[in-house]
Amino acid sequence: MAKITRRAFIKTAAITTSALAAGSVFSKSSSAKSKKELYDEKMTHYDKGKTSFTYCEMCFWNCGVIAHTRNGVVHKLEGNPFNPNNRGHLCAKGNSGIMSLYDPNRLKYPLIRVGKRGEGKFKKASWDEAFDYVANKLKEITSKYGAKSVASFLHGTGEEPFIILSHAIGTPNVVIPAYSQCMGSREVGWVLTYGTGVSGHSTFDFKNSKYIISFGRNLLGALQVREAEDVTEALARGAKLVYCDPRFSETAAKAYRWLPVRPGTDLALILGIIHVMIRDGLVNMDFVNKYCFGFSQLAEHVKQYTPEWAEKETGIDATTIETVAWEFAKYAPNVVAVPPRRFSRYGNDTQTSRAIAILNALAGNWGVPGGIWVRSKYAYILAEYNRGECDVREIEFREPKEGEPPKPTDERADGAGTLFPLAPKSLGRENGMIEATRMQKPYPIKAWLLYGTNPIGSSSIGKNKLVEEVIPNLDFIVDIDIIPNDISMYADVILPESVYLERYDLPHIQKDAYPFIAIREPAVKPLFDTKGAWDIAKGIAERLGHGKYFEKSVEGRIEEILKELPEEQRKELKEKGVVVFEGTQPFPQAAGEELKFKTPSKKVELYSTKLAKFYEEKKDEYYYPLPKYVPPVQPKESGAYRLLFGRVPMHTHARTQNNKMLAEIYPENELWINEEEARKLGLKEHDKVVLHSLETGVDSEPIKVKPTARIRRDCVFIAHGFGHISKFLEVAYKKGASDSSLCSDGVDRISGAAALNNAFVKIKKVRG
Amino acid sequence: MDAKKRKHRYTMVIVQDRCIGCMACYSACKFEWEVPINKEMFRTQVLEIEKKGVDGNPVVTFLPILCNHCDNAPCVDVCPTGASYKREEDGIVLVEPSMCIGCKACMEACPYNARYYNEELTAVDKCTFCLPRISNGLEPACVATCVGEARNFGDLNDRNSKVYKLLKDAKKVWRLQEDKGTLPNVYYVSMND
Repeated sequence: MAKITRRAFIKTAAITTSALAAGSVFSKSSSAKSKKELYDEKMTHYDKGKTSFTYCEMCFWNCGVIAHTRNGVVHKLEGNPFNPNNRGHLCAKGNSGIMSLYDPNRLKYPLIRVGKRGEGKFKKASWDEAFDYVANKLKEITSKYGAKSVASFLHGTGEEPFIILSHAIGTPNVVIPAYSQCMGSREVGWVLTYGTGVSGHSTFDFKNSKYIISFGRNLLGALQVREAEDVTEALARGAKLVYCDPRFSETAAKAYRWLPVRPGTDLALILGIIHVMIRDGLVNMDFVNKYCFGFSQLAEHVKQYTPEWAEKETGIDATTIETVAWEFAKYAPNVVAVPPRRFSRYGNDTQTSRAIAILNALAGNWGVPGGIWVRSKYAYILAEYNRGECDVREIEFREPKEGEPPKPTDERADGAGTLFPLAPKSLGRENGMIEATRMQKPYPIKAWLLYGTNPIGSSSIGKNKLVEEVIPNLDFIVDIDIIPNDISMYADVILPESVYLERYDLPHIQKDAYPFIAIREPAVKPLFDTKGAWDIAKGIAERLGHGKYFEKSVEGRIEEILKELPEEQRKELKEKGVVVFEGTQPFPQAAGEELKFKTPSKKVELYSTKLAKFYEEKKDEYYYPLPKYVPPVQPKESGAYRLLFGRVPMHTHARTQNNKMLAEIYPENELWINEEEARKLGLKEHDKVVLHSLETGVDSEPIKVKPTARIRRDCVFIAHGFGHISKFLEVAYKKGASDSSLCSDGVDRISGAAALNNAFVKIKKVRG
Repeated sequence: MDAKKRKHRYTMVIVQDRCIGCMACYSACKFEWEVPINKEMFRTQVLEIEKKGVDGNPVVTFLPILCNHCDNAPCVDVCPTGASYKREEDGIVLVEPSMCIGCKACMEACPYNARYYNEELTAVDKCTFCLPRISNGLEPACVATCVGEARNFGDLNDRNSKVYKLLKDAKKVWRLQEDKGTLPNVYYVSMND
């Protein structure tokens, strides 16, 4: 956020050229009239222009958007008040979709590589040429190495057509990076306990909650609009928020207690709280007796985890742990203990997720307002719901629907469903797929199809290893994106996707407390020679002889999905851009209904019968049926800091840094370091340093220092997604440091998801 | 004119507890008003203020700032051409760009850092409480987009308005730099103790 220096500006700057240049997008409509005339016009005749409905693609939570277009230019985006994801609000990213549409660095037409990989030399191609080229290369590779040698990395609304394409080709190797890089461990832990996941749009009823403990979920900073709305609403009503994180984030700023836990020891803290709840008789025994399995085993198991023991592990004093347990119980069942969303941290994450799930179960908050709601089953939604949305309950691929290709039968290369038996085959492990490509084991992976993903900026393997040891093994890389991101530099073919404001897409269908469906229609025609995801997948499929799976146009598919809707709701959808299916029951316990759980025992498994089986087989203590504490890994050298990274409210992953508005608000990341440590190292604010990773041996780009009291002394923090190496990103190029080149490539033994924060860095001051 | 006798008493009430520093308001305002993309140029902004609490723990406050549409507006007083003026009917302070000579005296006079010089407009620019939007029954852009619903806009003459109720129910009410005697029409409130 900006420090105000405008006063200085008044004195020094008469004219700034950057302002003139930056205004070029806005100036599109102002060719004839002067700015002053236009200003007067706007003040007297307010014209919002043509409106169209869409849902946001600036991150992945798909808020409802109304786009306003004047003279063929999108000039304003507003939230759709009827969409439950955002109730009319848009965050900074949502508002700035305009700048992604008008980004001068956008991909404008298909490109075929002519220079060496990474050199960035491409020739312009027609879509026909590009499709032919892709199809021929894929045919060549699959005939030589088999269909399974193609791996697809998919993220975003266009996932579905590319899943269909990949399955049509015959490869099982479809990877949805959200599993291994983000929430895999959280979901597996939750499924083991409750038989169902937290899901992307989490099932926590923050709005009505009286007491919220967040274990590192930056509810207000890692912005998902509805979640932030609900939490602020609860806080304004007097709810109490306890925030547990080594870093004092935006969420800590609003918390009533900040617990600066030693990194990697959350599990010890949770076990300490559970210990106190059981010891002091604070458990909701009505719920536990009726619905939970294995309470006596749990009670016995946590006897060892006293608050005093937890104090030693976590650095949080025993009295505070006791108080938090008492407070949590006092407000139960209108309480939630919140797992982090990116739960790919310390390698013990699935067990930590299990412990958080258990903490909730002890409060008995399932299906209660202010606790955890149950996603409603609504026949239409269930029938049309297509996207995985990280549903890890289904370990197998789902059965194909009518008109879809058969499900692939080959074993996955990344170990999902085999080496990691609880990792779902439908989502896969990005970390595992990159490793399989590096090793060419268990079988050769020779082609990558990338849609909306940038493994250089967001995977754990990091730029150097990826470029030196993985990419050379690939015969072919297709990159589908809207901007020339880092990985595009290494692509053989780049296929430009239209920005979401230019295209139709399949409706957004959300299983939710009150499930709903939202539509996307273009606000403007494509500015360049780009296509939507459906048409890109279709173009490739047709040339591979799989055109039958894409016979319909995207509009035809939308019509097919919507024709099942009753006439009245179809009308509503057209008028409001969204239809909410009310009348479902998200709070069955409160309504006096019997609860059902899809675990093997049909109960909430405090003691996991599934893990018990694996533990028996593997004798691996990570698979212990009760959450067992394993201390986090420690640095091999002294003088190193654990590297933490996370979100800022203005950026999404490694994909929005080139958006001019978002870059203006947050242009580059800074190194958060405890002020005492900074003093010790002789570092002042804005000094530049290089981070040396003990794990990868890589030195980061220089990064500015932010000494602050807002972080513990044993770790440092940088915002995720910076340090871009694509020279085509003129705004984001070399701004800040990339966490992905520094973080660890550890793995959670149960879920197979990444353990990114088991990395340590040394800090070197840069001269000058 | 006595503030209470105006047709409308337009007011922004910022619920301090609810601002999460997400900068949605900043970007919504910039797109609505084509404010140049440049950090020094804004109509509204959110400051992040870090302090140390009594227990030694950090205290962070997110503080939205904008033109306060003061009843006793120093910017209006210093403007040599009358480009800066306060509307009698509703108290909104405006700049008429065709009359602005760019002397920036108003920018110096404003204690709230609420004005900037717009290179494209070649005039001083600032928050208008989104006058054209509110005349069309819409909320100001920053209010409409505010994720935490920290920003609230309305007419204090209307006892049923959200702003009136917020001021009535708040546990704490303050305005910025009240000692300057500017009589701002932007209120900050806290609903908790």
